[in-house]
Amino acid sequence: MARVIEVIKVGKTYPHPSGPVYALDNISFSVEDGQFVSIVGPSGCGKSTLLQILSGLLNATDGEVKVDGRLVTSPVPGTIAVVFQEALLLPWKTALANVELPLELRGVATEQRRRRSLEMLDLVGLTHAVGRYPHELSGGMRQRVSIARGLAPDPRIVMMDEPFGSLDEQTRTRMGDELLRIWETTRKTIILITHSLSEAIYLSDVVEVMGRDPGRILEEVRIDLPRPRRLDMMGSEVFGQLRNRIWHLIGDQAGTTVD
Amino acid sequence: MSRYAKILLALALLAIWQAVCSLGLISPVIVASPINIVRAATSEWPEFLGALGYTSLLILAGIVGAWGLGIVVGAALGSSELLARATAPILSSILAVPLVVWYPILMVWVGIGAESKIIYGMLSGFFPIALATLNAVQHYDRRYVTLARAMGANTVQLFVRFIIPMTLPTIVAGLRVGTAFTVIGIIVAEMLASTAGLGFLISYYRTMFDTGHVYLGISLALAITFVINLGLTSLEKHMGRWRSLELSARTSR
Repeated sequence: MARVIEVIKVGKTYPHPSGPVYALDNISFSVEDGQFVSIVGPSGCGKSTLLQILSGLLNATDGEVKVDGRLVTSPVPGTIAVVFQEALLLPWKTALANVELPLELRGVATEQRRRRSLEMLDLVGLTHAVGRYPHELSGGMRQRVSIARGLAPDPRIVMMDEPFGSLDEQTRTRMGDELLRIWETTRKTIILITHSLSEAIYLSDVVEVMGRDPGRILEEVRIDLPRPRRLDMMGSEVFGQLRNRIWHLIGDQAGTTVD
Repeated sequence: MSRYAKILLALALLAIWQAVCSLGLISPVIVASPINIVRAATSEWPEFLGALGYTSLLILAGIVGAWGLGIVVGAALGSSELLARATAPILSSILAVPLVVWYPILMVWVGIGAESKIIYGMLSGFFPIALATLNAVQHYDRRYVTLARAMGANTVQLFVRFIIPMTLPTIVAGLRVGTAFTVIGIIVAEMLASTAGLGFLISYYRTMFDTGHVYLGISLALAITFVINLGLTSLEKHMGRWRSLELSARTSR
């Protein structure tokens, strides 16, 4: 399969009076077209910083990120969509208008962007909430609007920074299944940052396990569970072994905690 | 209460007011009767109509100046962390001082004509508007700027689609206070020293103990505030609606 994202020796250093701070060090991996990749690691390992660099929102101090062979130095809105931890919907716009926004910014004609946005809201199961304002939606619904908004410009890659981090566990599990379904219908390449190991294993083809001080990749773990995934796989032996392995990778780092 | 009941109540109050005056229970110098006010209006209406137009014009000029200057200066100061921290305390402490103490100085500088009224009205409205704009620009949610960048918004789109709608509710609240201050400022300035306008007429007829005309002047000043308030309320409804909906949803959750 074709490589869509190549991360080559990426490092991020911040200047500090008492010597430079190495936030990210020598990070390399690649992502294939249509893959679902999760990045896990202890708090403060720089996984959000890495995502910002991958999406072009932040520049690396060392190394480079290539998408489709082209260097990423600033956001690539048509190709990469970013979904944040908070839904960040515009509170003065309806769900539909929020999903239309990225298309509007790109100058897509009204008729066309409306049709596309309705499709996306349908995909995330929110056809009934099209005309509602963000304050009338629950946390999970808001995040679904945010995902629909990300998908609206039909990007090849969706990068998500702990998108379910502020949701309760039940909603979170449901959203994970929802995300799998969306991924299976749209065949996007997805990069998901999460601090939940189970979530990462359950959803992904590959899990990049990060350590901290400095933030780096400890290991790339392939998840060979069959697709489509089902919730009862979480109780399987393979799942447990994978979970233990990642847990130990992170736990071997003295003094770090996994949340 | 139904519409008719309200009208009836108002008429009843007017009748009681007229009766108290007609029976001579209160001296006409202290409280003018409704009939006196109507008489004042019918005899001196060209004078009062002229003053109403004149004062309205000054207020309009003052509002335009206060809004423009307040928003521009507030946005400029608010966009720099350093400037904002240096100037916000000064702005709020000036807001706490009654500006009218400076009016005599302004009079010496630009005279007692229209200019001093407009400048004074403008200054009165400027501080709350500048302070609100500064706060709005300082405190909107910066994560939306990251979102806008990720979506590929250009600078114009960033302002028009994200920053302006986000800061508008706070700015409009400032406009509301500032506009009221401008109106008060101009009428007070007219009462202090001038040769024309509603404030001048109120002050002039008061020295003549002509309470009917004073009341007429007051009613017209109230009419101006009433109209301006209508405008501001509709502005707030259109520009700041999302904020109040958002807040009420958050508190009820």
